Amino acid sequence: MRNFLIRRALYAIPTLIGISIITFAIARLSPGDPIRLFTFGIKDFTQDDYLRLLHAYGLDKPIPLQYVDWLSNAVRLNFGESLIYHREAGTMILERLPNTLQLAVTALMLQLIIGVPLGVVAALRRGSWADGAIRVFGVAGHAVPAFWLGQVLIILFAIGLRWLPSQGMLTVGKDQLDLMDRLKHILLPAFVLALVGIANYSRILRTETLDVLGQDYIRTAHAKGLRERVVVYVHALRNSLIPVVTALGGILATLVGGALVIEQVFSWPGIGQFTFQAAIAKDYPIVQAGVMIASTLLVVSYVLRDLTYAIVDPRIKVA
Amino acid sequence: MRRLVAVLGAAMLVAVSCSSSGTPGGGASPSVAATEKPQQGGRVIEATISDIATMQPVLVNDTASGRITGLIYDNILQVDYKTGEPKPRLASATVSSDSLKYTFEMNAKAVWSDGKPLIADDWLTGLKAVGKSKKTVRKSTFKDVVGFTDYSDGKATSISGVAIDPANNKKWTVTMAKVSCSAIIDLIGYTLPTQVFGKYVTDSSKDEIDTAPENTNPTVVSGPFKFTEWRKGDQVILDKNATYWQGAPNIDQYVYKVVANQTAITNGLKTGEITWGTIQAKDLADVQTVATVKIDKYQNLGYTFIGWNTASPTAVGLADKRVRQALAYGIDMDQVIKAVVFGEATKQVSHHVPVQWAYPTGVQLEQYKYDKAKAQSLLKDAGWTPGPDGILQNAAGKKFNLTISTNSGNTERETLATVAAEQYKQLGINAKAAPEAFQGLVTKLTTGDSTLEATIIGWSLGAEPDPYSIWHSSQIPDPAKKVEGFGFTYFKDPAMDKAIEEARNPSNGDCTVASRKKQYETFNKILNENQPYNFGYANNVLAVSQQSLQSFKPGSFSAIYNVNEWWIKK
Amino acid sequence: MATAAATAGGVIVPAEARPSRSLWDNAWYKLRRDRLTIAASVTLVLLALLSILAPVFADNVFHYKFEQQDLFHTYEKPSFDPPAYLLGTDEVGRSQVVRLLFGGQVSLFVGFVAALVNFLVGVPVGLAAGYFRGPFDDFINWLITTLNGIPQIYLLLIIAALWQPGPLTLIAIIGLLNWTGITLYCRGQTISLREREYITSAHAIGATHARVIFKHILPNVLPLIFILAAIDVGGIVLLESALSFLGLGILPPTPSWGNMLTGGASYFVRAWWLVVSPGVMIFLTVLCLYLIGDGLRDALDPRLKTHESH
Repeated sequence: MRNFLIRRALYAIPTLIGISIITFAIARLSPGDPIRLFTFGIKDFTQDDYLRLLHAYGLDKPIPLQYVDWLSNAVRLNFGESLIYHREAGTMILERLPNTLQLAVTALMLQLIIGVPLGVVAALRRGSWADGAIRVFGVAGHAVPAFWLGQVLIILFAIGLRWLPSQGMLTVGKDQLDLMDRLKHILLPAFVLALVGIANYSRILRTETLDVLGQDYIRTAHAKGLRERVVVYVHALRNSLIPVVTALGGILATLVGGALVIEQVFSWPGIGQFTFQAAIAKDYPIVQAGVMIASTLLVVSYVLRDLTYAIVDPRIKVA
Repeated sequence: MRRLVAVLGAAMLVAVSCSSSGTPGGGASPSVAATEKPQQGGRVIEATISDIATMQPVLVNDTASGRITGLIYDNILQVDYKTGEPKPRLASATVSSDSLKYTFEMNAKAVWSDGKPLIADDWLTGLKAVGKSKKTVRKSTFKDVVGFTDYSDGKATSISGVAIDPANNKKWTVTMAKVSCSAIIDLIGYTLPTQVFGKYVTDSSKDEIDTAPENTNPTVVSGPFKFTEWRKGDQVILDKNATYWQGAPNIDQYVYKVVANQTAITNGLKTGEITWGTIQAKDLADVQTVATVKIDKYQNLGYTFIGWNTASPTAVGLADKRVRQALAYGIDMDQVIKAVVFGEATKQVSHHVPVQWAYPTGVQLEQYKYDKAKAQSLLKDAGWTPGPDGILQNAAGKKFNLTISTNSGNTERETLATVAAEQYKQLGINAKAAPEAFQGLVTKLTTGDSTLEATIIGWSLGAEPDPYSIWHSSQIPDPAKKVEGFGFTYFKDPAMDKAIEEARNPSNGDCTVASRKKQYETFNKILNENQPYNFGYANNVLAVSQQSLQSFKPGSFSAIYNVNEWWIKK
Repeated sequence: MATAAATAGGVIVPAEARPSRSLWDNAWYKLRRDRLTIAASVTLVLLALLSILAPVFADNVFHYKFEQQDLFHTYEKPSFDPPAYLLGTDEVGRSQVVRLLFGGQVSLFVGFVAALVNFLVGVPVGLAAGYFRGPFDDFINWLITTLNGIPQIYLLLIIAALWQPGPLTLIAIIGLLNWTGITLYCRGQTISLREREYITSAHAIGATHARVIFKHILPNVLPLIFILAAIDVGGIVLLESALSFLGLGILPPTPSWGNMLTGGASYFVRAWWLVVSPGVMIFLTVLCLYLIGDGLRDALDPRLKTHESH
């Protein structure tokens, strides 16, 4: 198990280097430059001022040299000083990371709590109206633009019914540990973020449960006279969880990525929204730090997925 | 015509408090608020769509950060919220008769939150910080202060033009190298607590001021609020400065809340999650149906315009004054304002906006009232006649194509570009709207990219009306020589240059408003006639606040100047 | 795995009732009986036709050009008279229905062409990597892991924020980033197929690489690729709308369903019809594509045949 982890971790290094090159290249090779952007229209701003700032931010060096500088600092977790905030970019991303994780983990839990039972119920009540409804949902859940659904839910639950807040993580002035208040804030964004996953899991679980129910050992269990519920939970569920774990990689990628749009809709102060705004403002260090940290998160979660997979399915050999 | 403009201007100057509903006892008019005794306590939550960047005034380059530094640090002078006229705040100011020496004296009552009095050194610390900083964008503001550039370049250890009165440590004099009429506004500078930032501006310090920990955690303040917490990306929490030298604020806490977009601001105002914020015109009708809020309208200190590239090699027609005039007559700006900003704007025909004192009131300006026939005849005079396909062409057979660029993501400007293109099509011009990313557009503009033909963008103006950076011929970019500037229309006029120079650095040293206003009338008259821009319109700012917020009286130049008088009615 | 004739969740299908057919015949036979998939296909074709024929409808039915404005008739409610107001008018008095048709052209074009690019990049790369293995396969593997390591929306977002895209650049960007799924699948299948007996025997009788790939491997890989591609198109239509929401999709005044939905959302209280119609179009299109993908899977995937066919 330890060797497996070490090997996977080593594999991640060339990946992360590749990611850093891609990120750096597309950020720097694009048209426009940040100094001109944030000095546009400043009274009495001169050409000399422009060149002085370019030098102060180290943007006058050749790009490959800038990359080498950046990389040698990045491995020491220094992603460079933000052009706008004048602070170290990595720290700023890490300050917001818990917010994104909170949203993603809640969404993941919702997916499992709602998606898995839906799929199992659909399989058990195969052909019933419930099955039909769950199957329609399984497809329709994919087809709704998330940002649109978020806006509709805000109009409905926050502005219309006034049940839930329209944005943010916490009511201004409430105690940071007020869990009820936090729950109210996270409900809508987490649900919208979870939707695709819920739909996915309900489909996968339905298929798998049907598959497992048809297998010999389940029929044997039936023959032995065990109650159906026990059969399902003990035998079937464990086996149907394997594809749940398999799907986890893709789900995590959608969670980390999807969070960006959701954060923007619900004013959730996470890394996605922050990196997005930095990209608009061409704040290179933050964009690079944001993408690198989000990617590392993803790469690490892929490793964890493989690990979980190995644990759940004993047939996979961990070498 | 002139009277109409004057009346319009006056109407805009008054912050129209239009209580949005008929709820009895709702609309708190200023007179009611004045007679009531302010209640203590409560919290004000202002919405912003971008987080602050820093709380170091020297580094501030965005509205959000400026709001917080404005709440925690007072300045030596404060411009009037309605007129923009500088008035004493922390200090009083006098100017020598040759307009070269400015003398300031701190108010005897002014104290920092740690109890230390404000002294001349605190202002000098601010100026030295600008000199020491490598990341500030404000150095050029102080270039005319004697000795500043040497200090900034590290050639001197002190700024020779600043002299503190040896007998009175609250009094100091600043000497300018030449007469500069913007000096009185420029010299407001930054007043920083020397006991905190002094260590970053000693002879041996370099650029540590840029990364000082106090930039994100200010410990000593001079303003009505003191810094408590910055939850990154979410909110900045300020608590009242109980020892504020002008009297402690009535409210206990000021929270600056970051939300993702304009829609979220509108939503928060409707639900009461936000105390005040500015909304977009498109949401006004919706917000007006909410009984719990009130709306203050005032004219924005800036305008949205269409800039013509008069040197465009592709849209050659733009070089001709008559064509540009035709483009002004040929667009129904009043109708456009109705469609694009729901009528919440005033048509502009000059560079200066009505709320500025430099706004030309003593000269007759052409209003360019919509007149399609006149536009067509002007185009014809300029040699553009309809070709077989109905599109205008010149004698050489070149078609009149016109690409109107604007920055994407700004719905208002995108719509304006679309509507303008459609109206110009009616004149026979093959016009099309082309939004592009702001960063790319800005680079094209400042480097004088010849592919730009027409650009819709906006200027934010200040209390100081000097238009040198935008309109002086020295500011025209030259791609061949890698010279950059904001004069992207390539339009120049010697008489206009002279008027700008005379109002900026007058040869006779006369910096009075009356004298400068005359110069700006000449300047605006030339612009008005030559139309290097279609000056578009000046938006109304729509400040929405909860009915419970009292004494809230925002104006074009400031919304928070009287924040210590605000109170919340329970 | 149970045989084809075994239980489908309890329903016994007699094996001899089905004549033996090739994979494609078999699929076609099943598809024709899948009413949901048929309905989805018909709807999709209808949507595509409406979009393709947008200029014809605009001129002959609605008598309104798509860029035509009328500042005196903004936010008109949906009505039959005139026909151009069928779905109301927008903020500058353009006909919503006409713009919706033209927007469909753009959105569907982006969706299908970008998916085609994915297909054209993904299949050959996947086949080559899986078949030849070696350093090329290592490189492709690294590239895919790297691209998949970056949350895609971040990558798209940076590229789109930095180079504001039109329809063609958007296609290029999505097309060049989204191919990894298809490649991974192709590669995996190829690796497992090339060890099969009939492939080794084909090599033994002197078949060229090209012949083996095109004759023996590709036909076995293709069916599932089509399923992936159908779902891919739907995903891209959604992606375009999400990018529009972030202000980075197709730029107005060129209409796309994504930017119409985003634009409409900001006028929601004033004119709900501007939000509903593009939303419905996106939803319908994506729904149909997913249903078709599902139907194809049922019909084509031999593994799933036992428990997803009804």
